Amino acid sequence: MNVTSIQKLTRKGARISEILRPLLGAIIVIFLLYRLYDVFIVQQEYGPETWLRLAIAGLVIGSVYALIAIGYTLVYGILFMINFAHGEVMMLGAYSGFFVFEAFKAIKVSTDPLVTFSNAYPVLSVLIAFLVGMSVSALAGFSLERIAYRPLRKAPRLVPLIGAIGASIFLQNAAQLLFSPQLRDVTNPEILARGSGWGIMVNGSRVILPYTGVFTFFLSLILLAGLYLVVQKTRLGRSMRAVALDKKTASLMGIDVDRTISLTFLISGALAGAAGVMWGIHNGLVYYFVGFIPGIKAFTAAVLGGIGNLPGAMLGGLFLGLIESLGPAALGIDFQLKDVIAFVLLIIVLIFRPSGLLGERLAEEKL
Amino acid sequence: MKHNLRQSFNTGLTFGFVHVFLVLIGFNTLIGSLFAKLLGAQVSGSQPPVFTLMIYTALLGIWAGLAASKKAQKKNLAGSLAAGTLAGFIAGLIGFLFSLGLGWFLVNRIDFRQYLAFLSFDFIKATLFNLSPLPGALLSGGIFSAAGALGGLLNGVGHLPVVINRVESFRQFCGRTWQRASAPLHGRHRLLIRIALLAVLAALIILLPLEWGSYWNYVAGTVGLYVILGLGLNIIVGLSGQLVLGYIAFFAIGAYTMALLNAPIPHNLMWGFWPAVVLGVLLAAAAGLLLGLPLMRLRGDYLAIVTLGFGEIIRILLKSDVLTNFTGGPRGIQNISGPVLFGKPFNSDIQFTYLIFIAVVMTAFVYNHLQNSRTGRAWLAIREDETVARATGVNTTRYKLLALALGAAFAGLAGAIYASRNQFTGPEEHSLMASINVISLIIVGGMGNIPGTILGAFALKGLPEILREFANYRLLTFGALLVVMMLSRPNGLIPSKRPRYKIKEEPENTADGTEGEDER
Amino acid sequence: MKAKKLFVVMIVLSFLFTACQTSNSPTDSPSGSAGDGVPAVCASDAFGCAVFKKGDVIKIGMGAPMTGGDASYGIDISQGGMIAIQDFGELNGFKFTLVAEDDGGTAEGGAAVANKFASDPAVVAVAGHIYSGATSAAMPVYEKAGIPLLSPSASLPALTTMGSQVFNRIVFTDARQGPPAAEYLFNKLGKRKLAALHDGSDYGKGLAEAVAARFAELGGEVVITEAITKGETDYTPVLSAVAAKGPDALYFGGYTAEGAVIVNQMKQTGLEDIVFFGCDGTYGADFLSRTGANGENAFATIAPIPAESPEKAAFDAAYLEQFGKEAGSLSPYTWNGYDATGALISAVKSVAVLGNDGNLYVPRGALVTAVRTLKDYKGVGGTYSCDATGECNTLPPMFVVVKDGAWVPAE
Repeated sequence: MNVTSIQKLTRKGARISEILRPLLGAIIVIFLLYRLYDVFIVQQEYGPETWLRLAIAGLVIGSVYALIAIGYTLVYGILFMINFAHGEVMMLGAYSGFFVFEAFKAIKVSTDPLVTFSNAYPVLSVLIAFLVGMSVSALAGFSLERIAYRPLRKAPRLVPLIGAIGASIFLQNAAQLLFSPQLRDVTNPEILARGSGWGIMVNGSRVILPYTGVFTFFLSLILLAGLYLVVQKTRLGRSMRAVALDKKTASLMGIDVDRTISLTFLISGALAGAAGVMWGIHNGLVYYFVGFIPGIKAFTAAVLGGIGNLPGAMLGGLFLGLIESLGPAALGIDFQLKDVIAFVLLIIVLIFRPSGLLGERLAEEKL
Repeated sequence: MKHNLRQSFNTGLTFGFVHVFLVLIGFNTLIGSLFAKLLGAQVSGSQPPVFTLMIYTALLGIWAGLAASKKAQKKNLAGSLAAGTLAGFIAGLIGFLFSLGLGWFLVNRIDFRQYLAFLSFDFIKATLFNLSPLPGALLSGGIFSAAGALGGLLNGVGHLPVVINRVESFRQFCGRTWQRASAPLHGRHRLLIRIALLAVLAALIILLPLEWGSYWNYVAGTVGLYVILGLGLNIIVGLSGQLVLGYIAFFAIGAYTMALLNAPIPHNLMWGFWPAVVLGVLLAAAAGLLLGLPLMRLRGDYLAIVTLGFGEIIRILLKSDVLTNFTGGPRGIQNISGPVLFGKPFNSDIQFTYLIFIAVVMTAFVYNHLQNSRTGRAWLAIREDETVARATGVNTTRYKLLALALGAAFAGLAGAIYASRNQFTGPEEHSLMASINVISLIIVGGMGNIPGTILGAFALKGLPEILREFANYRLLTFGALLVVMMLSRPNGLIPSKRPRYKIKEEPENTADGTEGEDER
Repeated sequence: MKAKKLFVVMIVLSFLFTACQTSNSPTDSPSGSAGDGVPAVCASDAFGCAVFKKGDVIKIGMGAPMTGGDASYGIDISQGGMIAIQDFGELNGFKFTLVAEDDGGTAEGGAAVANKFASDPAVVAVAGHIYSGATSAAMPVYEKAGIPLLSPSASLPALTTMGSQVFNRIVFTDARQGPPAAEYLFNKLGKRKLAALHDGSDYGKGLAEAVAARFAELGGEVVITEAITKGETDYTPVLSAVAAKGPDALYFGGYTAEGAVIVNQMKQTGLEDIVFFGCDGTYGADFLSRTGANGENAFATIAPIPAESPEKAAFDAAYLEQFGKEAGSLSPYTWNGYDATGALISAVKSVAVLGNDGNLYVPRGALVTAVRTLKDYKGVGGTYSCDATGECNTLPPMFVVVKDGAWVPAE
């Protein structure tokens, strides 16, 4: 094989993809426009209040994904490792939140059965729940790293991935055996009752902005902002970025790589724990399998936004939630296919922008 | 000395928590009832006899002692004993406190089963060895400490010079016997012996299905199908290095092709087994090609998540209500007819087992051929470094697509046979967990080689059937096994050897002539 | 090379090991063999006999969701069955046992469990499966293997119209659950615009479509029929789309796991004033605890709670003592689980033959017929007799509603 034939081959290949991709893009855009036209102009099934409801639902779902995605992307950005067990760490946080609220039910505050501890001191009880949940999950993430990931740091990419999958399966089943497969319901303090919220009258119908939904949204924003500050402004953050850039050089520069990585997992775990407690408060359902699917969706969201990119995780999460919620309605497709839409979207984004929407890395990407 | 103390302390701590965990998931009573069965003891009531639980505790303590003394620095008898005792004592302390806690539940009749599923009163009583809380807890702590000491002792004994000599001479003896026994295999009659062994194996494969009942036929068939799946995935992940997480989608395509063409509902086409198999394989291969085309540019982890998404898309489409008329929806497809050979229908599992064996042999043959061919070498080059491969003239796109198509074809074959054998297939069988099963299988067994895949399939699908006692704990041990395997033998049980090619002339740089084992 | 040799040795050893294993489990005596002590009935039986040597256990299978969101149903009914084993499970020194396998309530699980039971010679009958979707996938396998079924809860009408010889049930069919629900909605509650949701399963979809059809027949308007995805925790988008159509009642065919979520999310999607009408799958203490105040005024149909009797009181006490929960709180079929298992045991007892060699022979074909021709079996929930298609229960379902946080009969 001489040089000119290689050149010809690559040129031909490049030309084909040059034509193919814009063509594919054009087809997709035309299809989307057609469907949107059909739904919005021709059939007009849904009034503005429904669209508003769908949008709110999408943002709320999206914030939950965003919360989980932030932890995922942090670990990936620093270690280039997909932490499959992140969903299970979140599940542990959710269970902790559940147990905390159950424990509160046992504390006698007054003779009136309706006045439980969590109802009397809502802010305090929520804070304690979050603290316990985040600590448990942080500890879990830390132990996970120490036991299952640290020894595998030098191994090829597939090995820690399988280790993470194994840890994920182990944690799921441990939770199932310990706590029974029964679905648990989290008892919120009354001001945060599920389903209640601020009402907006639109088009004669009452659209509700749920309390728990708003709480989730702002919580993810706050956590993201906090994490961003830590990564950009603090010394720990600098160590993280250095380790992400080049582990060996960072250790030569005097950074304790082991400690930095442990702290990364600690923080990522804490974030997952917050997401888990929030899940329990918002969705109310806690059981051993609760972390698996949201974990995958959150990972999808992180990839969508650009993996390793913190604001990208938030953006990806919200985007994914909106697509899941608005997509089927806007495209006139059955609601059962919302996950299909999400994954197809992912594929499309990765074809045209392989590094995700925001594209940027925590530090420069390692090839 | 301090370091020693801390190590043993940590070991004891770990084992203590492990003990608490195992009790909370009911593992101690499971082991107890297993012992009871082994020893033929009568099991009255729902809990095993108390002495079996004591044996369990003792075993755990011995293990703690062994682990601690192994880590100890002082390798003599006294050091090991001390390390073991300390570890056992710490574990015992935790066990003691835990048992006291359980006893408190028992005494106050608090039914905590709402939160911790195993804590019925009978269970707590048994865990406390049918004694009242304080003596029961003391007994538990005592057994741990004593057993830890015993473990340390055992380890220490292993380090005594007398023992070391004995072990060494025994090992040499074994080595010499093995040499003598396997001498024929290296001698002139090597070929004959090989043929004889193969003949025995073939005889087993032919005769066993007739003997061992339909259940084991079913299990063997499942293992065989997973071997085919493993080989297919090995082509994609092991040989050409593309991380595909949605592999089971191709299996689904094969299964559903067979199902849709051979079941009365929904289409009643009844094309027959053999055309459906061929079509299933072709469709799966086509799907592999089509999936690969847009993804050629994607890097490792992105490829993983996209293929995961693809797998999920297939599953959701198959399950959805919209496409029910075409795919049968969440009910799946039933009454899939079986193969007909020369006019006679298959209706026994024995014939299916033979069919699967034949398919496995064929697949292994194709795989072996591919692995040692130019295509296989191209894949290896792509796996090691794609950029360099392209630079040396390998058409990476073509070979990657070929890998995907072939791997998918194998999965399609397995899927078609599976659907016909089970007479049923449904969307939930083709979930992400199934893909994870196949990946784990090839990683645990050893990526890239045939014996490894067979071993992996056997370990992951055959063993759980043999160990049916542990049914509830199956997935738990699976997850733990994956982690342990990755930590101890990341290359799998039978690691792949990098192919070596002998160069005739004198090598210039002697350092490169004998590269070590494959680092991956 | 060494590894490969070791590997071959290992494979050979494990094959031998498993082959030896089978000699410990009871084997099917081939029909037509004339060993001494084998009763003549085995030779003439189409499916042969199941042979039990001294010390072997006679297994009654049950396929139910034992893990996951629907686990409470499976756990509950299997526990009812276990008490039946304790009460009746002994024959001439041979013990019975209930083998409850997890089928996840899905079609795939049902088929897998069916294959497992069919290849275990010690399983003579199956009290199940519990979910209709799993049952319909499992039936062909049992048909071929000659294992009779008596389901406590699979209510899909089609199960008895497919010409199966082996399937029987002691629960009402959905044909008696669906249309009456539509009539209740139309006549009693005066609803005119129905939204029919279901979870895509055989059972849920069948019910929802039956209700929708009857409702339309009566003159009401079915504004939307929609499928939700099982296992999700957020149905607000679907519910918002449903709300856009302006229904005044919502019928849900499915199980508590999803039903509770729907009820909780109806408020925030504009469906606050809509009546929620569920089915026997959405009944139970789980539903109450998960919906709390949101569940007020939710309807469901259930198998009628058995009348009080000494046997029922004994069963309830035993259940509470062994499992820590009230019978009938996790699902309405606890008593059916007890009765189905008990009926199967009595059928086995009626056809089993003790051979001269001390072995127990259970002719399978005769057992299938015995279950199909069950007559006047007196159980806790009533007296059952099976008709030619396998329907064994004549009692219709009853409607219940949530009032003040508890299920009470609806007028």
